[in-house]
Amino acid sequence: MTLRDFAIRYGFLALLVGLVIFFSLATDGFASPQAAVFIFQSVAITGVLALGVTATLVVGGFDLSIGSVATTAMMAAAYVMVIMEQNAFVAVVTCLVIGVVVGLINGYLIVYMRVPDLLATLGMMFLLVGLQRIPTEGRSIATGMTLPDGSTANGTFSAGFLALGRHRFDFFLPNLIPVSVVVLLVLAVLIWFFLEYTRFGRMMYAVGSNPKAAELAGAPVKAYKIWAYVISGVFASIGGILLAARLGRGDIASGNNLLLDSVAAALIGFAVLGAAKPNAFGTAVGALFVGILLQGLTMMNAPYYTQDFVKGAVLVVALVFTFALSNKGRT
Amino acid sequence: MNFTRRTLGKLAVGLAAATCLMQASAMAQDKPAPFDNPGDVKIALVRYLSTGDFFQAYLSGVEAQAKALGVDLRVLDSRQDAALQADMVDQAIALGVDGIIIQHGLTESMKEAAQRAVDAGIKVVAFDVNVENDKIPQIEQSDRDLARLALEQAVKDNGEDWKAGYVYVAGIAPLDRRDETWREFKAKYPGIEEVAMFGTLDNPIANSVANQARSVLTANPGIQVMFAPYDEFAKGVKIAVDEAGLSSDIKIYSADISTSDIAAMREPGSAWVATAATNPAVVGQVSVRALAQLLAGEEVGKSVIIPPTLITQKDLNDNDIKNMEELSAKLPQFAHADVAISPWIALPGK
Amino acid sequence: MADPVFRIADLRKSFGPTQVLDGVSLELNAGEVTVLMGANGAGKSTLVRIVSGVYDRDGGTITLDGKNFSPASPADAIRAGVVTVHQNINDGVVVALDVATNLTLDRLNGSGARLFFNPRSVRRQAREVAARMGLEVDLNAEISALSLADRQMVAIARAMAHEPKVLILDEPTSSLSSAEANRLFEVVDRLRERGVAILYISHRMSDIRRLADRIVTLRDGRITGTFNSKPLDYEGAVNAMLGQTIHRAEIAARDGAHTIFSAEHLRIADHARPFSLGLGDGEIVAITGLVGVGKTALAETLFGVRAPLGGMMNLNGNAYAPQSTAEAIKAGVFLVAKDRAESGIIKDFNLYENLSLPFLDRISRLSVVPRRTERAVAREAISELGIVCRTERDDMATLSGGNQQKVMVARWMSQPASLFILDEPFQGVDIAARRDIANKLRESARGRATLIFVTELDEALETADRILVMSEHTIVGEHRNADVDIDRLLAEIAGQNLKGAA
Repeated sequence: MTLRDFAIRYGFLALLVGLVIFFSLATDGFASPQAAVFIFQSVAITGVLALGVTATLVVGGFDLSIGSVATTAMMAAAYVMVIMEQNAFVAVVTCLVIGVVVGLINGYLIVYMRVPDLLATLGMMFLLVGLQRIPTEGRSIATGMTLPDGSTANGTFSAGFLALGRHRFDFFLPNLIPVSVVVLLVLAVLIWFFLEYTRFGRMMYAVGSNPKAAELAGAPVKAYKIWAYVISGVFASIGGILLAARLGRGDIASGNNLLLDSVAAALIGFAVLGAAKPNAFGTAVGALFVGILLQGLTMMNAPYYTQDFVKGAVLVVALVFTFALSNKGRT
Repeated sequence: MNFTRRTLGKLAVGLAAATCLMQASAMAQDKPAPFDNPGDVKIALVRYLSTGDFFQAYLSGVEAQAKALGVDLRVLDSRQDAALQADMVDQAIALGVDGIIIQHGLTESMKEAAQRAVDAGIKVVAFDVNVENDKIPQIEQSDRDLARLALEQAVKDNGEDWKAGYVYVAGIAPLDRRDETWREFKAKYPGIEEVAMFGTLDNPIANSVANQARSVLTANPGIQVMFAPYDEFAKGVKIAVDEAGLSSDIKIYSADISTSDIAAMREPGSAWVATAATNPAVVGQVSVRALAQLLAGEEVGKSVIIPPTLITQKDLNDNDIKNMEELSAKLPQFAHADVAISPWIALPGK
Repeated sequence: MADPVFRIADLRKSFGPTQVLDGVSLELNAGEVTVLMGANGAGKSTLVRIVSGVYDRDGGTITLDGKNFSPASPADAIRAGVVTVHQNINDGVVVALDVATNLTLDRLNGSGARLFFNPRSVRRQAREVAARMGLEVDLNAEISALSLADRQMVAIARAMAHEPKVLILDEPTSSLSSAEANRLFEVVDRLRERGVAILYISHRMSDIRRLADRIVTLRDGRITGTFNSKPLDYEGAVNAMLGQTIHRAEIAARDGAHTIFSAEHLRIADHARPFSLGLGDGEIVAITGLVGVGKTALAETLFGVRAPLGGMMNLNGNAYAPQSTAEAIKAGVFLVAKDRAESGIIKDFNLYENLSLPFLDRISRLSVVPRRTERAVAREAISELGIVCRTERDDMATLSGGNQQKVMVARWMSQPASLFILDEPFQGVDIAARRDIANKLRESARGRATLIFVTELDEALETADRILVMSEHTIVGEHRNADVDIDRLLAEIAGQNLKGAA
């Protein structure tokens, strides 16, 4: 293995380890189990979204609507519990249904209406940003809010739902690992296993790489593409559930920052282990990388705009790793 | 046919005129012109920002006061389109309105449009946007007073020596004004040590700020006070403080308030102990009243400042306040501001 | 006869180790249509690209009007008076612009072009160009609103605006209907009358009969025949193009046992004559014919990619009408598709992942792909077919064309088939790999029907037990590969029995 091969394969992981060591030395409190868990928690939501968008990247598509799916799911959860006064279970199911429906519509537009993926999901993004405001006339949802008809909303976020954002499992230390981190890890392992080890995952990669060859090998290409958008929609809605559980209310938000951060994580993932293609492990590492960097910088009192700058720089470096250094980027 | 229609028309005009006269004669004694005939007074609200709880509440205040006055209100909403907002002022001029309230906007785009309205003989007030015009009074919620009230409470609760975390994003006008007060306080009380400053406007803001605040709390274990002079910041800080299990060690002071803020402040053991706020509905009412005074030829002054109210966790718990309506009902100083009051102006809900 | 306008002598070009043009000499005369015939891979495209200034040549000379012609770029070639209309029509026009702008597009570039775009002068110039060519198209129309034929006309008119001495038309009728083609022929006639030397590249016999003054055949980078004397010897030209000179009778033609697949009154294109077809157990049947006669359409019909326009198919005694490739595979009909880079290889997958692709569902347990099994299957295929590689984890890009093709064939041989179809399995494959694949097919033929589609007659003669000839989307001839009447076969390929159909 040449030095170059080594750099391509392990460069990003080495950079990650280097960052951890640097921040551990430069700041107090970075090297603690709590800080580690916290970094996972800070990337849990974008990480879940990024894993979903990875599925669409695998089939050669893209999903710009994930951010707004997440915030729409958050609004829906708040609406179901606070205004319709339903329980946590109904709220979670509603969110997941929203994810599935949005995924199906995206897939239908792209596969059957032949709308290019970026445009279809961009349209969906705008649609959802508007849709989440309609039921409450643009207001955020919180217990006790006044409804458009003048009455007061009496429902509350149920304790069970809030536990999704606040409960912590004991792990060596008491109350260490929050639910959102567990959700992230479970989903990451699931999607990683699905993409790497099942025939469906393998076929999705085939569809993304050469749809015609995949079809001639007997793959229902359209169905795989639609499924990818459904996966993306469901993961985004799970991200929305975690967001609602953490915030404890329904906030009007476009979710654009969620979208950008998760897409960045998925793209950084291309560079991990020299994969040069979308992959779940890389996406998880990419999300973690951004999280470590941002939390470390925050602990060093770096202002927010430097963080955006650093995020962008990491993404550019990762893309260079992927496309210029790796031979797989060429034909 | 012609004959009949004309006769009917005359009859209708006559009836309408008679009704007006009757109304006018009934009101004329105690109201100055043109409010002796308020149904004929048309005012327009030209908005730049409209989505969000604050702007909804502001609009409801404008509508309530307009209704109490009996004037005809048109709402023109440019949805953050600066050029459209300027066009909408021209549109309002063309509609022949008597008065315009400009709500937010950019100085550069609104300055000339506002001047055109003034030239057309229309009375104009501006809320939270400086249109650089002597004829146009500024309606302001005092950001400096907001920050001052919250910080005075912090000093009252914690003494003059504490370590503080501060949430701030530069370049946002109200936050910059609040920041000035924070600097003054730090100068005045050298015992206050700002150990960390952070902040972001990535939405959802509360989630992003929570992530940052967690890091700050880990890196700076000694923080006693978090000054988060914007309620979205405060929500994020509260999430982080709860997650770090530091709710009993840290106190959060903020500015602004909403129904969900009230719930967050009232959670058992909440670290969020006080906020200073102006009621956006009251700001809306004051905007309309100031415009009415201008139309009636009364002196309004260069700026109309609405004083904020300090709201503590204790106030909320003692009065069992659950939402903004109850806050208005149970804290009279929040429900009403003695600003731009004239005896002939009816107040909403009274 | 006057000196030729355009003379190519001993032209050579190679890509890496592959000699694509091996000393080509060719002359074009003013006012004459020279047809260049050549099978796929004969070197036609390379020749065109050198002449039009896209590629540099490795050796040889080209002269135009007796002067040396060495274009540095396509624009250079056009300025010198050699204009090429490429096969892909949309390469010749800018779809986003209107006709007038397209006609004058080349004047917008270059040193003499003005900085500002003057719509009025553009229209005036465009009108001149259109009038000279007799082009009857609305100059204000957007290209996207035009038919393919009109686009072709615009592309040619645009080319003619340069007053070329030499015009090269690269398979111009490949996407035109016969009525549209007739309009094109009229334009070619007019240009011929005006003294332009035309090189017309095609293997459509109807085009060639209609236009050719001379025929030159190219095969494996060499000129294999020049036909000047009238009446032109079309069969001789086809023969020279396909290079059917060395007929090895090493095949022991077998007869199929019981019929595995049959088709009755199958119709695969509008206006095509229906045909019937029967394939027996253990036999290899080759279907041959020129490019564009419907071989791939038939392969895709059998594999469920497209539905037949009429007729019935029968597989193992049951009606067979696959709605999708998945259904075809389930029924035991496998296709090694033409053009492996485009429709076979998954570039991001390594060798064993490419190999296992169609049968993942069969080898998976609980939908989990067992890599150990995949790799074992791949190792077996590597030794069976003699695939040259380092390991079964190699990237496909590291394999040679022949070995890539072996992987594509092995992909479908890992499971038993009822009907095994291979569309141009020897395209871009070296002789050794071709033998390996053919031998493997013959060895394993028992228990299934095998159908191969090949343009090269040699390939059919070397591999098949029975040869069917396709022309105009139907089957026109059948030969047992024992005592083949080559003359009749060539005549059928050349569409002799359909003379005058165009």
